[in-house]
Amino acid sequence: MRVPVGVRDWLPDELARKRALETILRGVFERWKYQEVQTPGLERYEVLEAGIGQNLSKQVFRLTDRSGSQLVLRPEMTMPIARLVSTRMREATLPLRLSYVQPVYRYEEPQEGRMREFTEAGLELIGTADADTDAESLFSAVEALDAVGLRMVRYDINHVAIIEGVLTGFGYAGDALHDVKRLIADRNLVDLRALANAHADAAHGEMLVRLTMSRGQEEILRAVRPLVVTEAGYAGIDRLADLLARARARGLQERIWIDFSLLRSLAYYTGIVFEGYVEELGFSLLGGGRYDTVLPRFGFNAGAVGWSTSVERLLIALERRTVCGELQFA
Amino acid sequence: MTGLTIALPKGALYGKSVVRLRAAGIAAPEDPGRRLFFDTNDGTRLLFLRPTDVPAYVEFGAADCGIVGKDVLWETDRSVCELADLEFGPCRLVVAAHRASRYHEGAPLPTFLRVATKFTQTAEAYFAERDLSVQLIKLHGSVELSPLVGLADLIVDLTETGTTLREHDLTILDTIGKSTARLVVNPVRFRAKYESIVALLARLNGGISPPFESMVR
Repeated sequence: MRVPVGVRDWLPDELARKRALETILRGVFERWKYQEVQTPGLERYEVLEAGIGQNLSKQVFRLTDRSGSQLVLRPEMTMPIARLVSTRMREATLPLRLSYVQPVYRYEEPQEGRMREFTEAGLELIGTADADTDAESLFSAVEALDAVGLRMVRYDINHVAIIEGVLTGFGYAGDALHDVKRLIADRNLVDLRALANAHADAAHGEMLVRLTMSRGQEEILRAVRPLVVTEAGYAGIDRLADLLARARARGLQERIWIDFSLLRSLAYYTGIVFEGYVEELGFSLLGGGRYDTVLPRFGFNAGAVGWSTSVERLLIALERRTVCGELQFA
Repeated sequence: MTGLTIALPKGALYGKSVVRLRAAGIAAPEDPGRRLFFDTNDGTRLLFLRPTDVPAYVEFGAADCGIVGKDVLWETDRSVCELADLEFGPCRLVVAAHRASRYHEGAPLPTFLRVATKFTQTAEAYFAERDLSVQLIKLHGSVELSPLVGLADLIVDLTETGTTLREHDLTILDTIGKSTARLVVNPVRFRAKYESIVALLARLNGGISPPFESMVR
């Protein structure tokens, strides 16, 4: 008798480690005044579709109940919380600070750090749109991972309006804009160069490739400004500069970098985005950002920013650090 | 001192990969022999892999980056960043049929054909785009044989010059895509080992590229 592909049991000593880590995370969530909620593992398919369209559909476990209703095993926690807030917490005083530590399900090829069932832990800050809350979200994430012992995690940050402001200046719109953003997010420099050359000229193509490769701090923010043509793009630069200055004030300048190609899910994020990673692992440990258009799709007019991590990935990162130190062959 | 782990494909692309790496200052061995991996004096670790395994090593982060043919990337869903077209190892993925068959270049194909190939994902996408239902037969070698012995009506296979196809009386009906060697990198390692990877890319391209900041002003 075996368990299905991509899921696992937790024996007492394994579960004790996982619980200890979750306890530390919950402690940080409480310190930042976030209240924990739980939502059901099963959601109606419409909830997911309302929030993110068809994008996740390939990774979603779908099922049909006896009355023919389409259900999903929730693949992430932001949509269930958006549903919760826009219905049962409609009258709550904003801003709302909600946390969760719950299993989610994704139909993916299992590999290290990617299981079909994993525990997602995170925070959602709802009902705000200002720079203070961008900073609160990022720094609560840093503090949570620091608290579990991952002080070496580095964070890449970006504002999604910047690249759009550059691409608009280069004449991209509609489908072409979406396609070129996809290639930048995937860092597919070969197809990006080909598309840019076909669309405009080699100089633009070279500039986009360089932009996609770039990484730095204030100096690249100053450099990108002359390429941006949209008001939203300028606002994005200022917002990112503000976040970087705050990070510096917290002594995080060695750990926070700007990467203009960090766009995460294209259909979803509207402002600041960030991701945390360590050198030893080939996958990110944490991700988040501002998603001001999601709650309005649920009929609730509020901006929001949030992040989440995978408890299992944190355990892997901690194990790599303490046991191996360095990857060993044979 | 690159500190990088680079996945290299054994076989057709190996020799040219070595030439490019050496030009970039990485002393790759001419022949991997029976070695599985090799550490150069400058701190680079080279892994010698079956070409089709390169994307998996890079996606899982077992290698930071790798060299692999675009034809292998077509057949994989692995998420790796394609940083550069290294422009060696050119070949084409083609649809071919026996010269004496009813199928010709430019003529519409009937449905329910039997198609033999190693490239089942790419072939499936190609025929689906044309609304043709086909029966795919996954083979692992000597695909050219299959139409000759009646196993398949068509084949989808790689060809460099077309010589092998001609020798087996096969004629090309269509080109699905053109492939060359690519430099691929793990998305997280690109950030975590940014300086090393950008330096490697510049050296493989035969020169130091100016950083983005210096292009703008």
